[in-house]
Amino acid sequence: MNGWEFQPARDLSLTGLERWRSLQREHGLFSSVARLVWWFLLRAAFHVWHRPVIVGRELLPLEPPFVLVANHTSHLDALLLASLLPAKWRDNVSPVAASDTFFEKPATAAFAAWILNALAIRRRGVRSHDLSEMREQLARQGAIYIIFPEGTRSRNGEIQTFKSGIGRLVAASAVPVVPCYLDGCYRACPPGARYSKPFRLTVKIGKPMLFEDSPDNRAGWDAIGHLLQSEVERLADGAAEGGQE
Amino acid sequence: MSEATFKRFFGYEDAFAHPLTCGVVIGLIVLLLVTPLIFLGLRRFVGVCDSTYTELWSRWRTWIWISVGLIVPILLGAAWVIAGVFVLSLCCFREFARATGIFREKLIGLSAVLGLCLISFAIIDNYPRLFFATPILGIGMIAMVTIPQDRPNGFIQRVALGVMGYLFFGFSLGYLALLTIDPLYRPLILLLLVGVELNDVFAYCTGRLFGGRKLVPNTSPGKTVAGAMGAMVLTCTLTFVVGHYVMFQGTRMDQWHTLLIMGIGISGFGQFGDLLLSSIKRDIGIKDLGHVLPGHGGLLDRFDSLVIITPMYYHFLSVVLGPLGQGQAERIITGGGP
Repeated sequence: MNGWEFQPARDLSLTGLERWRSLQREHGLFSSVARLVWWFLLRAAFHVWHRPVIVGRELLPLEPPFVLVANHTSHLDALLLASLLPAKWRDNVSPVAASDTFFEKPATAAFAAWILNALAIRRRGVRSHDLSEMREQLARQGAIYIIFPEGTRSRNGEIQTFKSGIGRLVAASAVPVVPCYLDGCYRACPPGARYSKPFRLTVKIGKPMLFEDSPDNRAGWDAIGHLLQSEVERLADGAAEGGQE
Repeated sequence: MSEATFKRFFGYEDAFAHPLTCGVVIGLIVLLLVTPLIFLGLRRFVGVCDSTYTELWSRWRTWIWISVGLIVPILLGAAWVIAGVFVLSLCCFREFARATGIFREKLIGLSAVLGLCLISFAIIDNYPRLFFATPILGIGMIAMVTIPQDRPNGFIQRVALGVMGYLFFGFSLGYLALLTIDPLYRPLILLLLVGVELNDVFAYCTGRLFGGRKLVPNTSPGKTVAGAMGAMVLTCTLTFVVGHYVMFQGTRMDQWHTLLIMGIGISGFGQFGDLLLSSIKRDIGIKDLGHVLPGHGGLLDRFDSLVIITPMYYHFLSVVLGPLGQGQAERIITGGGP
């Protein structure tokens, strides 16, 4: 009789901060339930407080994996993008967050890992095996990443240069990348603000882009960064392919 | 809720009424206070290496938490014991689920958690017939939930793992809380816990002392036949002395053969529980089931010995002494009598 195939949790040997920071982190029932409750409440809060307008929701891929890429001006950005995705993908969605901001203190790290399902990534000097792990998760587990290629929040609300890290993640892969433009987040909750003001937020979703043919080298990564930046800027300038809701 | 039931659930005034409770608590405190002196002595006179010394202190600190976590709810009342066992079962099931990979099946996990809630409800309600029905109710639920997903591949494995986890770490450990239906639950639980834990210590000590043939080398390379036999003899002696002089004086349990059977049971089934978890770990290919308890591993690595013995202990006491909890108000919440 053949033995069964067991697949223990990939983070079985990790505990505490080490586990929360790990890209190999896996969650079970409790965090799924906590996440479901959190996103339900957050979505309700957004609708009441910010009355978000979504343009082009129908352009989102029908199934994971995919990557959402957007301009970054506020802590609201990742929450807003994640909250507009269907509840059935709640465990697939992972905002990619700076490890030096969200994964230093145990309480914020626990919240980021357990509730937001955020993935810790170094802001400077991303390790190649981290990117390999993220690429593998995209392909194997049907992940949805929320990434802000600017690397940090804009201090004046303007779109900054997109870094090439996004290119390293999606070059020569069949994973769609969806460019998005977020408007109003800077006004509602700019860097340094402690509370969010009740301004209307707008999300403009662009057509998914594929980078299967992009070369997986420095030139290819840079080109992907530039291409995505110009697409987000085009959305910012008013171009929109989808309908409004 | 009657006054007697309220007192059973929340009454801590009589916590030290039984000499066994008193003795165990005092003994534990003394042991935890004396142990550091032993460590210092080992360091000074035997010259244990740094890593062993650090490991010893780590284990000692963990034992303090384990002792507090076990003793305090028992002293506070049955409600705390039931809540504590519920949390312990949840954590143990989680460790098992993460080790085997069944945690990825959220619906099976949810069914098991609902089953654990039902087990705790049956105990709070003092409704033993519902408690004894929970295995089949839980198994049915675990088997059913993934059928609508129409994924027959791997069905047997995921249901079997879910059922195994639920029965061993939900239902079986639930007996520890079920003991609280008896007014003498404090000494009964403490006798079991102390017996099982000391059985582990006896097995380790006699095994190290005599060495010799391995017991089941492929399952647990560290265990020896001498250790198992030594634990059996010492645990039987302990059970006999405590049972005869302190716990069961004047009852039907106070006979040499019943006390002997109980001693053999606590030692034998305790060791089988240990080996059961070792078998699971070897099959999966991992060393520890978790890392919650520094120096020990996961909760299951510490409480594995209780998995098989607890139901046996409860039923053996019921057979010899008559049903536990007689005279207590039944079906406190659901009403309607037994």
